[in-house]
Amino acid sequence: MSYEAIAILMFASMLLMLLTGQRVFAAIGIVSTVAALLLWGEGGVEMPFTAAFKLFKWYPLLTLPLFIYMGYILSESGIADDLYRMFHVWFGGLKGGLAVGTIGLMVVISAMNGLSVAGMAIGATIALPEMLRRGYDKIMITGVVQAGSSLGILVPPSVVLVLYGMIARESVGKLWLAGALPGLMMAALFIIYIVIRCRVQPHLGPTVSEAERNLPMAEKLRLLRAGIIPFLIFFFMTGLFVMGITSLVESSAVGATAATLAALVKRRLNRKVLEETVRKTLGISCMFMWIILAALCFGAVFDGIGAARAIETLFVTRWNLTPWEVLIMMQLSYLFMGMFLDDTAMLVIVAPLYVPLVKILGFDPVWYGVLYTITCQIAYMTPPFGYNLFLMRAMAPPEITLVDIYRSITPFVLVMIIALILVMVFPQIALWLPGQIYTR
Amino acid sequence: MPTFIVNYVRIVDAISTRFGRIAMLLIFVMIGTLLLDAITRNVIEIPLFWCVELAQFTLAAYYIMGGAYSMQLETHVRMDLLYDRLSERNKARMDSFTAIFLVVYLIVLLIGSISSTIYAIETNQRLFSMWNPSVIPIKVIMVLGIVLMLLQAFSIFFKDLAKARGVEMA
Repeated sequence: MSYEAIAILMFASMLLMLLTGQRVFAAIGIVSTVAALLLWGEGGVEMPFTAAFKLFKWYPLLTLPLFIYMGYILSESGIADDLYRMFHVWFGGLKGGLAVGTIGLMVVISAMNGLSVAGMAIGATIALPEMLRRGYDKIMITGVVQAGSSLGILVPPSVVLVLYGMIARESVGKLWLAGALPGLMMAALFIIYIVIRCRVQPHLGPTVSEAERNLPMAEKLRLLRAGIIPFLIFFFMTGLFVMGITSLVESSAVGATAATLAALVKRRLNRKVLEETVRKTLGISCMFMWIILAALCFGAVFDGIGAARAIETLFVTRWNLTPWEVLIMMQLSYLFMGMFLDDTAMLVIVAPLYVPLVKILGFDPVWYGVLYTITCQIAYMTPPFGYNLFLMRAMAPPEITLVDIYRSITPFVLVMIIALILVMVFPQIALWLPGQIYTR
Repeated sequence: MPTFIVNYVRIVDAISTRFGRIAMLLIFVMIGTLLLDAITRNVIEIPLFWCVELAQFTLAAYYIMGGAYSMQLETHVRMDLLYDRLSERNKARMDSFTAIFLVVYLIVLLIGSISSTIYAIETNQRLFSMWNPSVIPIKVIMVLGIVLMLLQAFSIFFKDLAKARGVEMA
């Protein structure tokens, strides 16, 4: 059998295994294990565990459990309540203002955390119920929370970019900075969409009553203090890292500590909250780590059969595509696969195949990292498989049904695709900021 | 279900929970170690070269030893396109069938971990770094964690089997 056929067979059997509903890590693990045993016999036995040692060497992944911990602490700390109140009063007068405020809230949360879990938890427990109560259209706001929380992986810090940085051997600092402007741009596009939509269909997002937001100016300004703690956390975590004072993994520990202190100051930290945070952190960390462990083995088998080479031959030699066509093919294939396969696993399996090709074609791997992350965001939201879909279902108020969740994402996915195209056409959106700070 | 299976499930679940509850506290070890590193290097200017490596060891212990407990908590994501449409009983049927995938993967992982540990002991393998720590302790911990994961997989299998046959097992 040709190596290409093996690669396709492996993907097909992984899909089949996933469809059985077995845990994702086990589905990926078994396919790679069986493939390794069939291809290399006894020599393949070691492969699954070898992945564990490769994972051991990827020490930047220490940021993963720390960010998860931090996300849960932040959502429990009450920081978000104050922020939400601030956005509520300041944007309440606008049609659809609370939805706009929610995007603002998500940007702030994203700047403090590298995953979408925190934004999701805060959005679903604080912003969603509040907007529902005020008669906002439930489909629109479900989309707002999902799209907004996905900014968590694009606005620095970002765990997805840490993972990409390890695979592509690029500086995480540059990658994080490269994600900043595209992240803000995407948030702005979301806001434009919401404002236009609510202007055309005002019943989707009624304004907040005069009485509620007509506070004295002094009171309004006082609300802005809600931004102080998030800014401090951002500064101590990402700021010190970009300035070169703390290393990447240290910065995530600083962030985790800062979040814990903030919760302490706000008197939200009790035994129960801490126990729950620590238990959930273990659960989610284990989920991610075991998926990465299995995916690394899968990737090693792919490496063994020379899949990266095969893809290059297929795209460049066989199909005779221009560099840009290859790039578009890669994004499309990732979007397609991301619908059905687990996104973290996809990153670990597919990035090693694509990144060398990106370099050969003369594209900037830092820029490609940003494209990759945006694609990842889309994959997080598109059914049938996406983390945000999963989380949303677990956390959303009961009146929001699965159908609502599925229907809510369409306009936001379109906005994300526009953002993706903009960053593709104007690489400077991503590369300008790191170019300013990392001058050689 | 025969008594010895009921007992097996009870004992294994208890062990997994115990180890998982210990493992989950390791998050504080990771935060503490890395924070210590950041502070000593920047504030009192004494770089500690072993901190990151210690945190790496802790992370490996964290997710491997916590694995069994996380399976008990059912935090592992599944592709639920079709699975979600099954009844509880059919889910249990499906799971008791696909448990074979999980078990085989874990067994191969276990074989690899044991041979890797034996190799580490025979050659007194160390990490190539300034601290130069032995990798034997972490490998032994990983073997134990994988064994625990395997025991837990069987426990879950028995529970699913019971559910598939229409009896509930605590």
